Amino acid sequence: MAEYQNLFTQVQVRHAPDPGVPVPDGENRIPDSGFSYWLGKIGDAQLGPVYLGWLGILSLITGGLSIILMGLVMWSSVAWDPIQFVRLLPWLAVEPPAPEYGLSIPPLAEGGWWLLCGFLLTVSIILWWFRMYTRARALGMGTHVAWSFAAAIWLYLVLGFIRPLLMGSWGEAVPFGIFPHLDWTAAFSIRYGNLFYNPFHMLSIAFLYGSALLFAMHAATILAVAKMGGEREIDQITDRGTAAERSQLFWRWTMGFNATMESIHRWAWWFASLTVITGGIGIVLTGTAVENWYFWGQQHGLIPIYPEVYEAPVPPPLPGELDGQHIGPPPEGLPGVSSSMEAGPSFALPGTEAHVSFASTLNQEVAR
Amino acid sequence: MKTLSRMAIALAGGLLITTTGCEFPPIDTVQLGFRGVGMEHVANPRTVQDSVDAVLAREPFVPGPPDEFGDPAPPGTWENVQVLGHLSEAEFNRFKLAMTTWVAAATGEGCNYCHVIEDSGEVNFASDAKYQKVVSRSMISMTQTANVEYAAHVGEAGVNCWTCHQGQVQPVNRWYFGDRPDPPSAGSMIERPQWERHYLDRDDARLINQTALSRNREENVSLQDTEYTYWLMIQMSEHLGVNCTYCHTSARFSDWDESPPQRVHAMRGLDMVRTMNMEYIVPLTDELPEHRLGPEGDGAKINCATCHAGAWKPQYGLPATHGIDWPALMQIGVSHPTGNGAADAGEELSGAP
Repeated sequence: MAEYQNLFTQVQVRHAPDPGVPVPDGENRIPDSGFSYWLGKIGDAQLGPVYLGWLGILSLITGGLSIILMGLVMWSSVAWDPIQFVRLLPWLAVEPPAPEYGLSIPPLAEGGWWLLCGFLLTVSIILWWFRMYTRARALGMGTHVAWSFAAAIWLYLVLGFIRPLLMGSWGEAVPFGIFPHLDWTAAFSIRYGNLFYNPFHMLSIAFLYGSALLFAMHAATILAVAKMGGEREIDQITDRGTAAERSQLFWRWTMGFNATMESIHRWAWWFASLTVITGGIGIVLTGTAVENWYFWGQQHGLIPIYPEVYEAPVPPPLPGELDGQHIGPPPEGLPGVSSSMEAGPSFALPGTEAHVSFASTLNQEVAR
Repeated sequence: MKTLSRMAIALAGGLLITTTGCEFPPIDTVQLGFRGVGMEHVANPRTVQDSVDAVLAREPFVPGPPDEFGDPAPPGTWENVQVLGHLSEAEFNRFKLAMTTWVAAATGEGCNYCHVIEDSGEVNFASDAKYQKVVSRSMISMTQTANVEYAAHVGEAGVNCWTCHQGQVQPVNRWYFGDRPDPPSAGSMIERPQWERHYLDRDDARLINQTALSRNREENVSLQDTEYTYWLMIQMSEHLGVNCTYCHTSARFSDWDESPPQRVHAMRGLDMVRTMNMEYIVPLTDELPEHRLGPEGDGAKINCATCHAGAWKPQYGLPATHGIDWPALMQIGVSHPTGNGAADAGEELSGAP
């Protein structure tokens, strides 16, 4: 019983560190192991042995370099002021290149750092994935962890690589930064006509909330039978109690059906993985195939029609007010680069059969 | 017991850290649209009350009722009056007196903030030697334009100098190139503050295509331009003290039909800000002394906050902000004719369109 652990256990057992099961390819593990009292509060008190290997080393180097570079770029944006760096950190960003650069490689200061940080981070993550895969294989395990990690990498790659490739511009990608990536998310949803009407976004949310529900149900069930030894799987193989039967009967009593000790983990694995798989599909379709999820939803019967609520009708903008014209050249001394919007076309509003009432109002205005 | 008290301390500490940004309830919620669709205005009544109290505490002295039936002063009454020639002498003096409160109160200089005192000790009202006077003339002209041409935004009541200045020589809320709001807000730390152009020369904040499926990739507005618009919108939200749904319908921000009427109002306000900046304020840059310029050599410019200062209506509609009682500001001013009947010399300087 060297590995006994339980949140309710106040006693931590100390013994010689357990090196783990012998495996053929196990020499690269760092032999130093020790115990941590505080880790013992939330899990196994034993720390190590760690298996690093060349995949792990390269992954840590590229990942560390990427994070350090992001920090330096952010720090330079506040003129290397350490106090401002800490104070403004949540708002600082490593921004992707401007849309003018398309898929070319821009100067470092104009998005090149973003490309470099993103490349290093991607290399790091992919190396880490191979590490997960090979370590699982070395232990004779299945590779479920690696594949569910791959699902998350799919979403990461869609956001930062696949969708920008399809759109033909690195500028479509997510910036690195705490609030900046959240701003990007909000802007992305608004730009493409409200992501809440994207069915894959709906699925992703359903799986996300479902994951939380399953996690809560499963965790609560096992904790509830801990006093019968329900969390001690070795015991259940060699010296079975009634924990499993009780927990399963509990669910049959309360909802008529129970997951098995095995199937509950398949439920959880699929819910967690599908959260990011469906999310990635939703993102990759946005802007490439579907332009406006609201109108897409309208065509597919998703959009309810709400009654008019404003007593005074919206006074429509006057003809010409929506033309998108500039009233003049920018003043001298205006800093910053140009934007693609400057030369961009103006859109006729709203111009679709689905929503013509505004256009007809506008026409009446013109006729008057 | 020891563990319990430790856990309690940790919990209290965690709560303290995670809730420092929160405000105490109750918070007022006002339904702005159909039920259940998130069309709500959310405000902390105590914050609003403090803001209203501050507005009332600043209320300016107003020198008497307007002389609105007064005929324009006879030719030759004044020299070098370019945009207030439509006033009677009494109304002219009343307005000038009010301006010392509205704009120059903080300096304590009264008339002399703009007008030159000669070596003889007399005030030379005609002289344009002080830059303040040249700026004031343009600002009066700008206010007249706002009240006449942008009545769709400022309303029947109109605005006066106090609406923005509130006794300060420069309105508190103004911006320069390269400014960063503090505390920061969305997008405020970005290198290229492109949203500023929406306050200057660019009308095109629209970016949402009105088709279900993607068609012509060339016509797409990039996500970065989307973010410029987004930051502009967040700024407007902060400047007006309102949420997105004050102007936009929650399901579809680009929709005009179901939007609250305020949206058109705000759009015309942006149009007004652009006109004010480009036709009145930016052209004054050459007149300004060094200490009035920003780090990149530009003069102060305005945005929504200059007048609104975080309120959906400037100073919550305080009558002292209205232009209606000031004939000086409710029409496009004319030049006061000189005594000998010659055409005014200053027409081209007047800045009025």
